[in-house]
Amino acid sequence: MSEETTPFLELAGVTKKYGDFTAVSDINLSIREGELFTLVGPSGSGKTTMIRMLVGMDQPTSGEMRLKGRVLNKVPANKRPTCMVFQSLALFPHKSVGENVEFAMKIAGVDPARRRQRAEELLAQLRLPLDCYDKGVNQCSGGERQRIALARALAFNPEILFFDEPLSALDFRLRKALEKELKDIHRETGKTFVYITHSLEEAMVMSDRIGIMRDGRIVQVGTPHEIYNKPINEFVAKFMGEVNSLEVEAVGENMVKSKVYGDTYHVGTMPAGFTAGFLIIRPEVVKIGKAAAPMPNRIQGVVFNDYALGSRIQYQVRSATNGDPWLVERLQDEAYEGQLGDTVDIGWRPEDSIVLSE
Amino acid sequence: MTGTFPTRHSTTLTAIWTIVVLLFLYIPMMAVVLASFSKLRYFRFPITGWTTEWYSKTLESLSVRDLLWTSLSVATLVTVLSVGLAFFGALAFARYDWTGRKLYQRLVLLPIFFPQAVLGLSLLLWFSALGITTSWKTAVFAHMIWIVPIVILIISIQVYSFDSALEEAAFDLGASRWQVMKEITLPIMSPGIVSGGIFAFLLSWGNFPLSLFSTGADQTVPEWLYAKMVSGYTPMVPTLGSLTMSGAAILLLLIYLAWMAIVRRKRGRAGSQ
Amino acid sequence: MNWIRQPGVVAALPAAIFLFVGFAGPLLMVFGYSFMPEKTFTLKQLPTVENYVSVVTDSYYISFTWSVFLAALTVLLLFPICYPIAYGMAKLFGKWAKLVTALIAIPLLISENIRLFGWVLILLKNGIFDGTMQSLFDVSVSGLLYTVPAIVLGLVYVYLPFMLFPLVIGISMIPDVVKEAAADLGANRWQVFREVELPLAMPGIMIGCILSFILVLGSLAESKILGGQAIVMIADDIESAFTFAQNWPKGSVLSVLLIALSGFIVFTLFRRIDLDQVIGRR
Repeated sequence: MSEETTPFLELAGVTKKYGDFTAVSDINLSIREGELFTLVGPSGSGKTTMIRMLVGMDQPTSGEMRLKGRVLNKVPANKRPTCMVFQSLALFPHKSVGENVEFAMKIAGVDPARRRQRAEELLAQLRLPLDCYDKGVNQCSGGERQRIALARALAFNPEILFFDEPLSALDFRLRKALEKELKDIHRETGKTFVYITHSLEEAMVMSDRIGIMRDGRIVQVGTPHEIYNKPINEFVAKFMGEVNSLEVEAVGENMVKSKVYGDTYHVGTMPAGFTAGFLIIRPEVVKIGKAAAPMPNRIQGVVFNDYALGSRIQYQVRSATNGDPWLVERLQDEAYEGQLGDTVDIGWRPEDSIVLSE
Repeated sequence: MTGTFPTRHSTTLTAIWTIVVLLFLYIPMMAVVLASFSKLRYFRFPITGWTTEWYSKTLESLSVRDLLWTSLSVATLVTVLSVGLAFFGALAFARYDWTGRKLYQRLVLLPIFFPQAVLGLSLLLWFSALGITTSWKTAVFAHMIWIVPIVILIISIQVYSFDSALEEAAFDLGASRWQVMKEITLPIMSPGIVSGGIFAFLLSWGNFPLSLFSTGADQTVPEWLYAKMVSGYTPMVPTLGSLTMSGAAILLLLIYLAWMAIVRRKRGRAGSQ
Repeated sequence: MNWIRQPGVVAALPAAIFLFVGFAGPLLMVFGYSFMPEKTFTLKQLPTVENYVSVVTDSYYISFTWSVFLAALTVLLLFPICYPIAYGMAKLFGKWAKLVTALIAIPLLISENIRLFGWVLILLKNGIFDGTMQSLFDVSVSGLLYTVPAIVLGLVYVYLPFMLFPLVIGISMIPDVVKEAAADLGANRWQVFREVELPLAMPGIMIGCILSFILVLGSLAESKILGGQAIVMIADDIESAFTFAQNWPKGSVLSVLLIALSGFIVFTLFRRIDLDQVIGRR
C-alpha cells in the first residue's frame, strides 16, 4: 500500500460520545486526494455519525480532523469546503431544479447569468435534459432527483463530496445503473468522494478503497480486492457475502478441527501462532457431485434446496452426519445434474479455505 | 374475496349526512343575513317588506365605526404579535429535541383547554392587581393568551412535516443561519404561518368571552352585539352581523385567490418548456 | 450541555414567558382572591376559607350540576353526529375532504354571538320556524326559544368543530391495511370498528370528547342567548359574582372549582397521550 501519498483528509483519534454511548471510537484514517473512498458497515456501526462530523453537522468529542493539514473540528458546515448528498437528497421543494442547482452559487454571490450557465453545464454533464431547469423538483423522477442533488453539490465546487446512502431508496435496477454512473462522474471530475453505505456490494462496485466499520470502530481498510481475498476477521468475511463458517481449533500442521462436531479439515495456510478461530469456505469454491470426488476435504450430505442466482445457481446441502447446512455455488453450465433429496459429496481444496483467528 | 367495505352505499350515506350537518351549520347565518334586509323594527317571518336602509344607517353610525375600528385594531395587533411568538413557539413545540419539551407541549396547550370566561375574569383580576386600566390594549393581551397556543398548534402541524435535512443541506452549501431562515425555513413554512395568521385575526375579531372582561371602557363588535341581543332587538344587530360575516368571507376569499394565483404562477413556470 | 443554550429552549422562551405572565399569573391571582373575605378588592386581607364553606353550602351545586349535565349530554350527542363525517373526511371524500374542512372551519371564524343570534331568529315566536309553520300549516310552534333543548341545540351547534377535527385526526391515524387485515381475518364491519378502528383512533376521540366537554363546561353565551332565564350555568354564576354582585372572592372560589374540575380532566387526558404522535402524525 502506498502510504507515502500526501494525506488529504486525515482523522486522528476521532471519538464521538452521546452521553454514555460511544458512537464512534478512536478512528484513525487517511483519505487520499481524488479517490472514491467508501465507509461501509451495518446500521448502528457509526458511519452516519462519522459523515455528520466530517461535514460539520456534529463535532467530535475528542480527536482531530484535518483537511490538507488544516484542522476542521471547529469549522461550521457552511464554512467547510466540503459538501454532502443527503440520504433523503434534501432537495428544496419550493425551488425549481435550476434554483436548487444554483443555490450555493447564489449564496456565494455569483451573478445570475454566470450561475445559469454553470447550472446548465452541470445538468448537461449529469445527462439531465435542459428543459428540467424550470421544473419543480417534485415533478422529477427518482433517478433525475439523484442527479439534481449531485449537480447541486457539485455546483458548490467542494474539495470533498460526501454521500450518505443516497441510492438506498431506489429500486434495484436504477440503483445498479446509478452506482456506475456515480463512479463515472467521479472519474470525470477527479474530485475526492467519500461514500457511506450499508451495502458491501455497492461499495465493491464503486470504491477505490473501502473502510469497514463495526461498533464505532474501523475494522479493516483496503481495496475491494484486498478485502475480498484477505478479510481480517469473521465479521468482515461474513459481511462480504454468504460464506460457510465453522468455529475451529488447530490440530497440527495445516489441520483444523470443528469445535462442535470434531470433524477435521485440511487448510492451505494458517495465520502464525493460530490456535483457534474460524474456518471460512466461500460457496463458490465448493464442488458438488463427481467434481467433489478428488477433493481432500469432503462432506456427505443431502441436497435440500436450490436457488437460482442469475448466472449462478446455489445449493443448500445438509450434512448427513449432523444436519449442518452448507452453501455451494456453481455456474449454470456446471450445475448439479441430480435431484433435490439426493445424497451427494461436496468438497473443496485446502488452499481455497480461509482461516481467521477472530 | 369479501367486498371491500367502504362500499358505494355507505359513502353516499356519509356524504348526505355531511351535507345535512353543513346546512345545519350555515342556516343560522343565512337567517341573520335574511333578517338584515327586513324593513320592520322587530323581526317577523315571513318577511313582508325589504330594505337596505339598516345598512346605510349602520354604516353611518359613529358608534358602529368606533366598534369596527376597535375590533380591527385588536385583531391586527393580535395577529402580528401572535404569529411572531407562535413561530418560535412552534419550532420549540415540534422541531427541536430538548429537555422539557413534553412538559412545554402540555403547558402551552392548557389555555385552549380552559374556560374562556374564567380566563377573562382571571385576567381582569390580574390587570387590577398590577394597576393596569383595562382598554382595547389589554384585550390584545387577553386574546393572545388564548390565540398564541392555537397558532402554535397550527404552525406546528407544518413544522412536523418539515424535513430538517433541508436546513442542513442549505447550511452545508454555505448559507448562513439567517440565509437558511430566509431561503428555506420561512418559505417552506409560509402556508402554516399564513393560516395561523388568518386564524389569529378572525378568532380575535369574533371573540366575545375574553373581550367581555378585558376591554374596559372600549367595546368590540361581538360585545356590542351581545349587549343588544340580551337587552332587546334592534335591526342593527343582524345588519352588523351580516357586515362582519361578509367581511370575513371577503377576507378569506381574497386570501384564497391570492394563494391560487401563487400556485398557478409556480405551475406556469414549471410548465413552460 | 448547558440547558439554556439548546435551540429548543431559546425558541420556547418568548411564548413560555408570555404565557407564564398572562396565564399562570392570573390563575394564581384567582387562587389568592378565593381566600379573601367577602366583597374585598385587594389581596391584603387575612386569608380565610369562609367563601369555600359558603359556596358549598349555598345552592351553587345546581348550576354546577347543570353545566356538567349539559356538557356530558353535548358530548354524547356530538360523538355520533361527528363520527361518520370525520370518517368520511379522513377516508372517503378524497379531494372533497379539503372543501368540507374549509366549510366546517369557516363558521369558527365568525363570532359565536352572531351565529347564535341566527338561532334566535329561527326559534323566536313569529320567527323563521314558527312563521313557516303558521303560513304553511296554520299551527303555531312558539315557545321554542328560552328552553333547555334550545341551549343544547346551541351547544351542539357551536362546539361541533371541536369534536369533529380531533376525530378526523384520530381516524386518519388508522392505516387502511390494518382494517383490511382484520377483515381478511374474518372480522365483520362492527368487529373491525370495535377491535381496530376505535382503539387506534382513541387519541383523537379522547381529545375531541374532552375538548368539547370542557368548552361546554365553561360556556356562557349559549345559555344566556338561547336559554334566557331557563337555567343558570356555572360560568354565568361566575360572571354575575364578579360583575353584578361585585363579590370577587366568591367568583374566585367558583372559578377555582371549575378550573380544578377541568384541570383534573385535562391532565388525565394529557398523561395518556403523545402529542407528537397526534399532531405530527408520526
